Amino acid sequence: MTSNTSAVNSKTWAGGRSPFKISYGKLMMWIFLLSDVFTFSSLLIGYGTVRFSYTSAPELPETQKVSPMSHVGHDFVEKMQNTGIFSEDHWPSADLVFNHFPFLHGVHLPLMFVSLMTFILIFSSVTMVLAVEAGQRKDQSNVAKYMLYTIVGGIAFLSCQAWEWTQFIGEGSSLFSNPFGPSQFAALFFIVTGFHGFHVLSGVVINIIVYFNTLKGTYEKRGHYEMIEKVGLYWHFVDLVWVFVFTFFYLI
Amino acid sequence: MNNNKIENYDPITFVPQTESHGTKDIWKTLIILSLITVLDIILYFVMPVSMFRNVVFIFFGLVKAYYIVGSFMHLKHEKFELILMILVPSVFIIALVSGMLYDGNFWLSFK
Repeated sequence: MTSNTSAVNSKTWAGGRSPFKISYGKLMMWIFLLSDVFTFSSLLIGYGTVRFSYTSAPELPETQKVSPMSHVGHDFVEKMQNTGIFSEDHWPSADLVFNHFPFLHGVHLPLMFVSLMTFILIFSSVTMVLAVEAGQRKDQSNVAKYMLYTIVGGIAFLSCQAWEWTQFIGEGSSLFSNPFGPSQFAALFFIVTGFHGFHVLSGVVINIIVYFNTLKGTYEKRGHYEMIEKVGLYWHFVDLVWVFVFTFFYLI
Repeated sequence: MNNNKIENYDPITFVPQTESHGTKDIWKTLIILSLITVLDIILYFVMPVSMFRNVVFIFFGLVKAYYIVGSFMHLKHEKFELILMILVPSVFIIALVSGMLYDGNFWLSFK
């Protein structure tokens, strides 16, 4: 111990205390999420790389411009293919591909459905953080209530995604080809949103388990509701990933 | 000086005492996230497609990420060393982004 600083540091790490003032489980959850950050960034960077290797589709000519809320016919995709807007040589723009909304058939509504999905996920994140807050006050009934809201939000999001996939597949998209542009366009869409959707699905399953444990009083007996915080970290991470999927797939 | 030793410390079962910060911060974050998302949607329809618009969207995405990680995931209330441990490795992502986008652009020149 030559300097005062190293003395303080070795005290912090000498044992007998938690250096980060955090439990083992929560620290491991953070490390897992960090590794998941790398997984998702690899997928999104892969998307960016392929996107950069294609030029953008040409702008629609003035006479063919479709304004939001206007009516588009069943032959919209075919028309776009015939005019060369959708072609394998250039990347399609998202607003001509993801322009559907449930129960509003044939109306051109770019970005609207995916914005709804974004808001569903933001609100389920808020109910999750309210459950965490209730857990810190050891308020069992409120934890259960907000966990239930979060589960409902997660299921709503998954249902939206199922609808969007059905729509996308119905128009002829698969991992190997699609009517909108290069085959990688649909392939990357399925892989990235699918990987994210699988995270949401496992989050919902974990939330359901924690919800029943809360009702059973497992955490009441344990004396703390830290499990809610750990599950909450995972759930917010899913929301965080969606922010970037939304930005890169739909906005840009 | 109190050296924060914990009686009968067991690293596996140790759980720190947590206290609620109240719900004020949660509602504030909800409003910020919603406003930025609405702004995203407005800009999407109002601004012409350009590199500048993309930069704006990415900037908004990072602001949303800051509020989700800092407030919802509670990271801004954790110890500074933990914050560093989570954030510093993300530098690798920036390196990969610049390298791979450069590569993608290069592939375009083959076509």
